[in-house]
Parts: sequence; structure tokens; C-alpha cells
Amino acid sequence: MRKLQLAIGAAGLVLGVVSYRLLRDDLHQSVARSLPTVVIGWSAIASGLIAWRRRPANRLGALMAAYGLAVLVRPWQYSGEAALFTVGYALGQLNVALFGHVALAYPTGRITDRLELWLVRIAYTMALLLPLATLLVYDGSGLRYVPPGPESGLLLRADPELARDLEQTFVIVVYGILAACFVALVVRKLVRATPRLRRVLTPLLLAAVLAALRAISEFAFTFVSPPPEFVHRLYWWQVAGQILLPVALLAGLLRARLARAQIGDLLLELDHAAPDGIRDALAHHLGDPGLQLVFWLPERGTYVDAAGTAIQLPSSSEGRSVAKIANDGERLAAIIHDPSLDEEPELVRSAGTAARLALENARLHAEVRAQLVQVQESRRRIVAAGDEQRRRIERDIHDGAQQRLVALALELRATQRRLGGRVDPDVERVLSGAVEELQVAVSELRELARGVHPAILAEEGLAGALESLAARTPLDVTVERAPAERLPPEIEAAAYFVACEALANAVKHAEASRVRISAVREHGRLVVEVADDGRGGANPAGTGLRGLADRLDAHGGRLLVTSPAGGGTRVVGELPCAS
Amino acid sequence: MLPTVVIVDDHEPFRRSARGLLELDGYRVVGEAGDGASAIEIVTRLRPDVVLLDIALPDTSGLDVAESLAGVDTRIVLVSSRDPSDIGPRVGRCGAAGFIPKDELSGEALAALLSRTA
Repeated sequence: MRKLQLAIGAAGLVLGVVSYRLLRDDLHQSVARSLPTVVIGWSAIASGLIAWRRRPANRLGALMAAYGLAVLVRPWQYSGEAALFTVGYALGQLNVALFGHVALAYPTGRITDRLELWLVRIAYTMALLLPLATLLVYDGSGLRYVPPGPESGLLLRADPELARDLEQTFVIVVYGILAACFVALVVRKLVRATPRLRRVLTPLLLAAVLAALRAISEFAFTFVSPPPEFVHRLYWWQVAGQILLPVALLAGLLRARLARAQIGDLLLELDHAAPDGIRDALAHHLGDPGLQLVFWLPERGTYVDAAGTAIQLPSSSEGRSVAKIANDGERLAAIIHDPSLDEEPELVRSAGTAARLALENARLHAEVRAQLVQVQESRRRIVAAGDEQRRRIERDIHDGAQQRLVALALELRATQRRLGGRVDPDVERVLSGAVEELQVAVSELRELARGVHPAILAEEGLAGALESLAARTPLDVTVERAPAERLPPEIEAAAYFVACEALANAVKHAEASRVRISAVREHGRLVVEVADDGRGGANPAGTGLRGLADRLDAHGGRLLVTSPAGGGTRVVGELPCAS
Repeated sequence: MLPTVVIVDDHEPFRRSARGLLELDGYRVVGEAGDGASAIEIVTRLRPDVVLLDIALPDTSGLDVAESLAGVDTRIVLVSSRDPSDIGPRVGRCGAAGFIPKDELSGEALAALLSRTA
């Protein structure tokens, strides 16, 4: 491969010199008119060879070099030698097809789009067939592009008229129709590209402009004659563009290389990055702001994002690509990125490798967060299930035992009526005693059921439940504020139990005489506050308050207890509660 | 003429005991209902003097039934084995004449409440 590249380089040098001499000596052009062709050819060959060396797997470098050689072969058609002229004329238009091929194959070296493929095929066919056909009838009497000289080495039957018609056909088809199609396809490619790919494709704009300029100068000027000054300027623009284009393509191709040279910077940046910052660092270095970073959790068999949320890897049809990163053969993470990065897999892989250590850390973070999310969810479910169970137990007590005891009490009372004092006073006393006992049992069950889960909470909501609680508490209790609207049942229950526990403490331990309760919704939270005028000194670590704090915590809320000795007790529960 | 009563409760044992007790205490139980919908139908049709209305019904709340019966010329007495404080302020606002805890139910209690609120 090395030898081939060296040979192409050497051939390029020789061809350049030969072309220059042909242009100067045989076509009698000025130095200024002869040099550009050589520089354009050398620029393409040099850029092509560099690209080829740096990216051996990419055919684009070889294509660019071939384009350069084709540019340098073209001036052979001006030679006075019949053989050289014939070869030069036969291959002289190949550079046009190669130009299109290079541009449309950029940056992968391959053309995958069907329309683009067809355009390049037609261009090659035209660029080879029409000059060959011309050579079959050309007698050396001169063409539009070729001064009178040697006759074609392939001449079958001289027909200068047909030769000129064939040349004209080439101009119309290639510079007229195919050039316009080429410009349209480049524009289509740019419009369809993702933002990142569009940046990579920018040099193609130059190619499109060049093709347009060439089409104008070769095609349009066949039919109209513009002022010489305009033609002159157009020519130099074209020359500059054709020299620059291979360099621009090479730069675009090697940009990934340059980016890889910045891996050192990436490593430094990752060193200081928080787990969340790794994504940003990778996005920045790979030039893909929409990049997503997900971590593999082996125990859960799923990918999660940095917040611990499970993520499904996109399929290729969703317009995102995935690069998986492994450590010692173990799945570690995946980068979900712009498909244009598929063309630079080494870049993504090397960035992923550089980030491996940081990713390992970040994965642990994500794992812990995922576990935390799971634990929080399960806690919430446990509390909700507990509430639901309490509700059921309350209903069971009410519908079951209590109803039976009530019915029994009524039966006994009826029996008393039926006997109507016609029985032994002892029996009468036993009956009355039984009825009273039953009433006590019913009332105790009522207390029990209420403690398990207050029915009024479901019926009337927090405001009603707090009022009812205040009314039953043997202290001077004021409900200052309570939300009139209904809230989620678990929030109502949690807030109610805060008030319940605080009131129970006020009655049992604080020797309080007055208590104020308020429940207010503000800033997406429900704040329930119970303040008494008792002796303070409540222990927040006591089982009642501790359990309450756990319950609030499970709902993402918190409990604050302020209870200075002799200064009363203030219990504040905060619960998330969107307005 | 004995005062007529309709008993509304989803527990059949309670309805039976209450019927027995109230009939002994001088009331005539003319109908029974096990849910809110049939309660409204029976009460509207029979127009009893008194409706003994349980609050916790399977299809609706007794309080809603009481409000639906606002136009019917009958006196509604709410019953429940829960305490009124467990039910809330609507007990006093739904148009019922009063409330008797189920375990305290008797003809005397009913008469006392009705004469107190007459």
C-alpha cells in the first residue's frame, strides 16, 4: 500500500510537470493560465494521499488522488502526439465524474443513497463513452476545447460535424443536466442531515458552488457570450475553489482525528466532572449536544440514566445510534448518539474508553440512585398499602363485630320490653347490665376503629376530620385553617395523623391547655402545624413522632418538631402536594 | 293510628332487631330498604311518618338520601354505629330531624328526638 501511494505521488509530480509543459508549449498558454491546473491536481493528490495514509479504511483518500491524477491527464489532449492526444482526450473528462464521486462519497468514501449512486454512474458513463465516440470520428480538424492537431488514434470514419455534435452533447448532458442534479442532491443531503452531520458536510457546499460555477461557465456560455471581465473573474474563483476543495474535504475527514487528539483534555475534564457532568463532557467532545449516557445495571438487567430511571435503548430506526462501552468484557454503559458519529466509531470508542473509569463511578451513582428510587417507591407503596389495610379493618369492625353487637343490644332491649317487668328482678338486672355492657363494647370498638382509620377522612376530607378531631379532644383546640378542597388520600391521611399524634402528645405528656391547628397549601406543599402551650421537651426520637416522620418521609415530606423545655411544642409536617 | 316507620339499612339483622323493638314500642314498621335507591323509591311511595336511615349504605351515603328526600313529607332520623363526630357536619345540614347512635335505638329514644325537634 505504501509503495502504491509513493508511486501515485511520484506519478502526480511527473504528470504535473508534463501537463504544465503541454499547456505552455502545445496550447501556448500563459504561465498564469497553465499553473492552476497543476496546482489543482497536486492539491487533490496530496490531500488524497494524506487522507489515505491517515484513514486507510476509507476509500475517499484514494478517490481524491484519482481525481487529482485525472485533472493532470486532461491537458494531454492538447498534445501534438497522436497517441498522447488520444489517451488524453479519452480520459480527459474522467475528472468531472470523479469530482462528483468524491463529493458525494464524502465523508465515508461510500455512496449509499440510490439517487446519488445513479448520478455518479451516469457521470462515469458519459465521461468515458462520449469522448470515446468522439475519437471514433475525429479527424484532427479542431474541436471547441481542442485546437486543430493530430487525428484520433481511434479514427474509424472522419466526420468533424458529428465530432463537434458529440462534444456539444457532452457539454449539455454533463455540465447542464448532471451538474444541476449534483447541486440538487448536495442541497438535499444537507437539508436531510442531522445538525452534527451537517457540520461535517459543510465542505460539500463549496463543491456545490464549484459545480454551479463550472456549469455556468461551460454550459451557459455555450449559448450566451458574457463580458470577458466576468469570464475572467469566474475562472479565478473556480481555480481557487478547486484548489481548496480537496483541502477542505481532508480537514473535514481528519476533524475526528483532531478531536481524538483532545482525548487528553477529555480525561482532564472527566477527572473533575461530577457523575452528571460526564454526559456533558462527552457531548461536548463528540460534538453531539443531544448525546445521552445510560448505565447498565446487571442486577436489574436494564439501562438507567443518571437519575436512576430505566431507559430502553433506541432501535436504529429511531434516528439515534448506540455505542456500548464495556470494561473487561463486562457491559458498563452505552452512549446514545447522533447517527453521523457512526462514521467515526473510533472516536466514540476512544472517548468511551477514556471515560471508562469515570463511567464506572457514575454507574455506581446511577445504581445507588436507581435503588433509592426503588426503595422510595416501595416505601410509598408500603405506607399506601398500610393505609388501605387500615381502611379495610375500620370497615370490617364497623360492618362486622359492631353491627352484630348493636343488633344483639337491640334484641335484648326488645326482650326486656316483651317481658315487661313480669320477670324476676335479678333477670331484669342481668338484662339491663348486658345491654349496658354491649353499649360500652360498641363504643370501645368505635374508638378502636377511629384510631385505626378515621372514617370521616374519607367522607369529609382533611378539614372535616381535623374539626372532628378537635371536637373530641378534651382541650381548647382551634382549627385555624384547613384546605376546603379534597387532597390525595395518602396526603390527607399523613396530615391527619400528624395532627392526631401531636394532639395525643399534648393531652398525655405536655399538660397543655390550648392547641392551635392549621393546614395550609403553599408552594406545592401542604404544611400542617400543631402548636400547644404545654411544657415542651418532647422527644422527636420517641416512637410516635419517629413513626410519623417515617410516614412523611415515605411521601417525600418531612417532620419538624420544636419543643423547648417550658416553651410549648410545635409539630410541623410538610408534604408535597401539587396545587 | 300508630306512627309509621321505614327502616333503611343494609344489615338485615339490624333491620330485624330494630323492627322488633320499635313495634314493641308502639310504631308500625311499614317498609324496609337495603340501599339508597330502593329507600328513595319506598319512602316516596309509602310516605311514612318516620324514616330510620343508616348513613353507611352500599350504593350511596344516607346523607345523600336524606337530601334527596327533602321534598317528601316525612321525618328522617339518621342512625349509625359510628359517632356523629366521625361523620362530620353534614349530619346537621342534610335535612334530617336528628341522629341516634344505633346501640341507643329504642322507641323512647325516637319519640324523645322527634318531640324535641318537632
